[in-house]
Amino acid sequence: MAVDMSMNILVVDDYQTMIRIIRNLLKQLGFENVDEAKDGQEALGLLRSGKYNLVISDWNMEPMTGFELLKHVRADDKLKRTPFIMVTAESKTENVIAAKQAGVNNYIVKPFNAQTLKAKLVSVIGDF
Amino acid sequence: MPSPEVVLKVRDALASLQRADLKDPRLIEVLNLSEQLVEAMNSFFGSMDRNVYGELRYIAAYIARTRGEISALRPNDLRESRIPQAGAELDAVVKNTEDATHTIMSAAEAVMSKDPGEPDFAAFVNDRMLEIFEACSFQDITGQRVRKVVDTLRHIEERVARFAHVMGAQDAQVEPTEDERRKKALLLNGPSLNGPEVKQDAIDALFTKSGPQSSGQAPPSQAPPSQAPPSQASSSQGDIDALFA
Repeated sequence: MAVDMSMNILVVDDYQTMIRIIRNLLKQLGFENVDEAKDGQEALGLLRSGKYNLVISDWNMEPMTGFELLKHVRADDKLKRTPFIMVTAESKTENVIAAKQAGVNNYIVKPFNAQTLKAKLVSVIGDF
Repeated sequence: MPSPEVVLKVRDALASLQRADLKDPRLIEVLNLSEQLVEAMNSFFGSMDRNVYGELRYIAAYIARTRGEISALRPNDLRESRIPQAGAELDAVVKNTEDATHTIMSAAEAVMSKDPGEPDFAAFVNDRMLEIFEACSFQDITGQRVRKVVDTLRHIEERVARFAHVMGAQDAQVEPTEDERRKKALLLNGPSLNGPEVKQDAIDALFTKSGPQSSGQAPPSQAPPSQAPPSQASSSQGDIDALFA
């Protein structure tokens, strides 16, 4: 099934530059509907609107981390199917395993390139 | 009353009794024994005074040496000059880096949004590239600033290490703070020093080998209802092993 390129994507990061980078890469890939949140708490509020088809989130944020956001999303009946990609500098084995066990769909270690982001998007939402 | 004065008083009392021309031999014997006891006590108090004096001298010397070591740490210089300066240098590094990143990204975004068909496209791109090169000069300045901060940390490290050595200090067991406990619980480890600890390839292997979410999962609106939510997935030992392969 073809990927809906008009899908709504929520990028969550407390570092504005990283949001800008991801937004530009997504734009290059053809995704124009990108919103942003600066931490897990703000993201959760936006997600409860029900309009988002994909979350791309950093891990290390305050007051709510990306890991906490992931667990909240997976515990919410209305949100638990939302694909979730973690993009983070947290590269310890325990982080990757914990995220996977919490239900993350894919995991990208910073710094990353456009090819890596595209490959993970394809593996999570399908080819486009 | 100080011990030497007590001894003198007892001695005077004994001498006075001896001068009284006592007839009872038992009383004379008691007086002799008392005199010996006074002599023994006198030498005992004398040695005790010398020991106490020696201990006090040692403590005074220790305090003086500690004061000297603390002065050598130059705590006021650290607090009022070196540490604030290091903080200011790091703030400047953050600002320089942010400014440069903003300039570079703005130039790249301008190029991306420019129509290549426009006649001035090549010149426009050339100008933006020059802006990017100029912005990259921040690296030289931030490198110098970071070196200053490293020098300050080394200065503190050397002095604290010397102080701990001289004082014979050992690391005490301390309870983790609330912030430290939270960071540990939420796995907030931060970036690894020498690049990612687990490489992207190993992570990809983990996500390729297992889990319903690893390949081609549709967005929520397209996901089949029977599909288990990703939270049901768990890592097998093979997945974990793949991380270390």
